[in-house]
Parts: sequence; C-alpha cells; structure tokens
Amino acid sequence: MKELVDQIVARLREQKIEVPEEEIASRLKKLVEDFRVPEGEARRSVLNYFLKEHGMMPLTRSNSEKVKVSEIAGPGRWVDLEVKVLDLWEPATEAISQTGLIGDGSGSIKFVKWAKSGLPDLEMGKSYLLKRVVTDEFQGRFSVKLNRTSQIEPLEQEIEAKPGSRGVEQLKVAEIGEQGCWIDLRVKVVQLWETNSDAISQSGLIGDETGSIKFVKWAKADLPNLEEGKSYLLGNLVTDEFQGRFSVKLNRTSRIEPLEEEVQVGSQSAEFKGALVDIQKGSGLIKRCPTGKRSLAKGICSEHGKVEGTYDLRIKGVIDDGQRVQDVLINRETTERLVGITLEDAKKMAMEALDHEVVCSLMEGKLVGRYFSVTGPRVDRYILVETINEAEAVTIADLDELIGMLEAD
Amino acid sequence: MAGFSREVARRVFAEELKSCNYSFRESEDQSQYAPQYLLTPTGAKCNRVFIVGTLTEKDDIGGDTEYWRGRVVDPTGSILIYAGQYQPEAAQIMANMEAPAFVAVVGKPNLYQTEDGNIIISIRAEAMQRVDEATRDQWIMDTAKRTHERLKALKDAGPVPISDSFSTADRVSAPSPVQDFQRALEHYHTDVEHYRKTVIHALTSLKGELIQDNTPEKAVPVPALAAKPDARIEPPAEVKEKGKSEGRKPKMKKSGSLAELAEQDDIEQVEEVPIFKRPMSEG
Repeated sequence: MKELVDQIVARLREQKIEVPEEEIASRLKKLVEDFRVPEGEARRSVLNYFLKEHGMMPLTRSNSEKVKVSEIAGPGRWVDLEVKVLDLWEPATEAISQTGLIGDGSGSIKFVKWAKSGLPDLEMGKSYLLKRVVTDEFQGRFSVKLNRTSQIEPLEQEIEAKPGSRGVEQLKVAEIGEQGCWIDLRVKVVQLWETNSDAISQSGLIGDETGSIKFVKWAKADLPNLEEGKSYLLGNLVTDEFQGRFSVKLNRTSRIEPLEEEVQVGSQSAEFKGALVDIQKGSGLIKRCPTGKRSLAKGICSEHGKVEGTYDLRIKGVIDDGQRVQDVLINRETTERLVGITLEDAKKMAMEALDHEVVCSLMEGKLVGRYFSVTGPRVDRYILVETINEAEAVTIADLDELIGMLEAD
Repeated sequence: MAGFSREVARRVFAEELKSCNYSFRESEDQSQYAPQYLLTPTGAKCNRVFIVGTLTEKDDIGGDTEYWRGRVVDPTGSILIYAGQYQPEAAQIMANMEAPAFVAVVGKPNLYQTEDGNIIISIRAEAMQRVDEATRDQWIMDTAKRTHERLKALKDAGPVPISDSFSTADRVSAPSPVQDFQRALEHYHTDVEHYRKTVIHALTSLKGELIQDNTPEKAVPVPALAAKPDARIEPPAEVKEKGKSEGRKPKMKKSGSLAELAEQDDIEQVEEVPIFKRPMSEG
C-alpha cells in the first residue's frame, strides 16, 4: 500500500500537485479493501481522481472542440460552448462556486463551476464562450463542468438560447414518468399549500383530466402567483422525482399563461395491496372546520382560527407491501362500513369514555396487521380510498404455484 | 409535504431474522439520528419489520414498570419481541392478551451482544394486534414471496463489481438495492439453497394445514386441549402422509403444553445459531 501511495505522490508531483498522503491512502484503501479493486486499477483510479480535481485531464489530453449543447451525448468530453446563462441556482456545496443552466440555439444544459477553478462568475442573461469544459453525465442527464483549465470569454453578440433542451413536450400529468424532463402542462390549480422555505414562492397541487401532481415555484423564478381554482398553460417546467413521486418545478425559464377555458381535473385511479401497518394521528373521531372542511388541531383551524367544529370520522392509514409504503385516506362512509360503527356510535363511545382516542383504538384493533387491497384516486402522497377489501384467503393453488416456482429455481 | 418518508416494514421469516448479526447506520456522518438498518442474510435491509405468527409466551420482565417480552413463532422458528414504557400501546395490548394467539407485530429490529459474545436479535414492537389465522396465512405467503424475490436478486447480484468512478461533489449516489445483496453475500456468505428450502418448508407446512382444514370428513374429535379458538386440530396420520411432509419439522404449536413448546424451540435455536454466527468485527 505504501508503495502505491508513493507512486501516486510521485506522479502527482510531476504535475506540481501536492496531495496529503493520508488522502491518497484512504482513497486507495476504500477501493482495494472495501470495493475489492485490483491494485493497478485502484492506483489509476486514485491518480485520475486527483488529477481531475486539479483540473488536469488524465492520460490523453485531447483538444476541445466547439459543439452545440444538443451535440453533447456522453461524459468525459472536452468541449467549447457558446452559450447564454439561462438560470443560476444555489450551489449545494462549497466545492461549487456556481451552478445553473446555460443554453444555445440547440438546447440547454446544466453547468457546474468548481470553486477550485478560480474562474470569474457568470452573469445571468449574459452570453459567453466557455472553453475547455468537461461534459459529465448523471442518470442519463448531461452537464458540463468548469474546472481550472477552463476559460470564460464574454461575448459581444447575444447567443439566441432556446430554453429547454431536447424539445419541450406538452404532456398530460399522468404521462410524467421521468425526472429532469422539460415539459408544458395545461392544468388547473387544485390546491395551494403553505410553503416551508423562503426559496419557494408557491407550492401546491395542479391537475388535468389525467390526474394531479405537486408543483413548486421557486422564489428566484420571479413569476406571477398562481391562483387556486384557475387554469393555466405552464410552459417549460422541469419534472422532478422524490421517492417515486413526481413533481414539477417552475424556474426562471418557465412561463405562466392564464387560460380562458377551465381544465377539468380527473384522477389517476390507483390500486395498492398490502398490510395496514399504522393508523396515524388525526384518525378516528375528528372535528372539522365548518367553513373550510379542514380538520382541527385542538379546536383550531389553521385558516379560520378557533371555531366550533363539526364531527367526522376518518382514517389516515399506512399500507405496506414490504417494498413500498402507501398512505391512504379513508372517508366517513367507508370507515363506517369497514369498522362497523357509525359516526353516532363513535360520538357515544367517546362521550362515555370521555376520550376521543377510544375510537382510534377500536379502529387499530380491527385493522392494524391485516391485509387489504384498496383502490381510489391518487392525490399527492395519498390514495383517497374508494374501495377497500380484505385480501383474499390463501388457497392451496396459490401455495402450489409458489412452491413450484421455488422448486424450479 | 414529502421530506420525511416512512420506512418500509420488511417481511422476513423468524429463522432468517435470528441469523442476523449485521446492522449499520445509513449516513456518512454516522450520526445517532441516522436510521439504523439490519441487513439479513438474503439482503433485506430492515429498519422495520412486519411479523405475523403465534404468540406462544409472554412475560413481564420489568421491575417497577411493565416491560413485556413475547415469543412469536412462525413456520421456520421464533423471535422475541419487546414492549415497554416507550411502546405503551403495544405493551398494553400484550398485557391484555392471552397466549397462544395469532398476532401481527410491526417493530424495529435490534441487535445486542451477550456477555459470551453471541449476537441476539429482538424486535421492539411499535404496534401489535391480535389477528386471525387467515392473516397469518397471508403473511406466510407474503413473506415467502418477498424472500423468494430476494433469493433471486442474490443470485443476480454476484460479486462486487469494480467501482470505476468516484462520485463528484454534486452527485451523491443513492445506495442501490444491488449493493444490499452484495453486502449480504459478502458478510454472511449466504447459503441461498438453505433459505430456498426454508421458504419451501414454510409453504409446505401451511399447505398441509390447509389440506387438513379442507378435509372435513377426516375431522377427528377435538381433543380437550385444543378446544381454544386458535388451537389447531392434529391431522390424522394418513393426511399428514399425503401432505408432502418431506423435511417438515414437527409442528410446534400442536404439541401439548407451552413449556414443551418453548423447549422444542430452544433446541431448534441451539441447532441454528452456530451455523450463522460470525465475528462481529466483520460488520
């Protein structure tokens, strides 16, 4: 190991790069011991890593060529680009001095400027010739990195940039199935939520005939506010994904056009089977605000303050199939049927026990740990349950089938 | 809004759970708030598990405050579950329950090392409910399916590939399930065949029970001992013969007293533990 470290140190010195030996040793160790990389490969990999970090192109130092954004189709290429800065984002780490979106007539692409590059900052809306930038790829999306060997030359003439790479598509909400796509949507604003970050100016739920999806409008996007219940054409949104759920983001390049006609909001019907593993707070006998139908927390509506609530029954449950969890909301009628008590019964029970919790405990006793199959529209992270049935009993045929599969392995 | 997402409850048979001796926190900084995971021999990464089986014993092992310990048995073995003052709902339910009973448990797996160096697993119950036999049958089927899927993934996972790139600062690679399987293979040197047989055993024994239930003409007078609602009827010898009983272990819950039952289980435990025990330093 020591020998390898020395070799790497020597090679780096040739390039006038000093790296602490411990850093080299720890990278090597991780590769060799944790990832079982052969020593030769590990040495090369570590050497390349530090060369790259210091802006050296390892091994072959090919000349960069001038390309259009849309021609970038693979990682590790050195290219020159003539682009306009379309958007600047908050860097997630101090290692990055700037990041954002640049584009030309052919499309747009993310860029990252390393702090170590020592390059001047790019300005929003300005056009530049970026020389010797490296292309990169992550999960099928390309980006370019500006490092120490890169150069930035401001351009006199403005580059005509087409926002949104690879063609912006007008999609339906239900068709969104990939993150990082630039799309247009015709939607109605179903619900606006309180935002929990200064970086977000608005967020909520938008929908069309095919379903609903969460949206986020960045404060930096500097776009007008959307109104609940109004319909819009939202242009040039970026799709995003978090733990299997999609959302769309409105950024600086996005457009908002109010629509005359109203978009009808439909729902994607979903089905989920699994064990009910939890009944969450806010289930059982609850009180709702008479105006907004919101559930009350200690008699207080988040919108209307202290109000005299009306009683309701509902279940906020979690169904788990061993691979995924699904939140479900079960309304009063379905809850009454499922648990076998009416709202009136529940009120009586709570009154006798002087405690609303008894209703929730009853529900837990009847439902938790059982297998169910639910269907209903998916809204944000919930399935609004329309039907819920106990899973069918295991049959000998089911068992034979699975035993057969196992024996065939 | 999203940001916090609930951990999935994995399905793992008791025998596999008992073989676990590897847990880790999934975070760079190893902070105490990072979720803890148990990695099972077939590569299930469990922060939470869902178990349905027969509660065969329960004891209050606490001092001043109640601290309940129960043993839950499935067709492959048994596992200990705990509920104390920090799991008040589960503790109350266990307190009010009579063993034996079919129960469903949602809980967090825990490993601890005994003074003599053995690593023991237990489940801290978050939720517990009495369920019916149909639910327990569904769980066996469910768990068999999930274990089968993991066994297939284990075969595909193979040896750890050479990592050819480092992650750059703005690219934090999400741990892929493939890594879980590779990690499991590396740590446990998992005997896939053994677990395949265990799953087949669990399914075959359930099938035997269903055949027996579906054969009313074979019904024998219910022995006084088995008169409790949850107790099963001992199948007549000829049915047992027919029901593919190859490799089947004697059914624990059919044997008379609870004491006997616990004893049998302990014997099984002694047989299993040494096979899977590995030094903790590997983890």
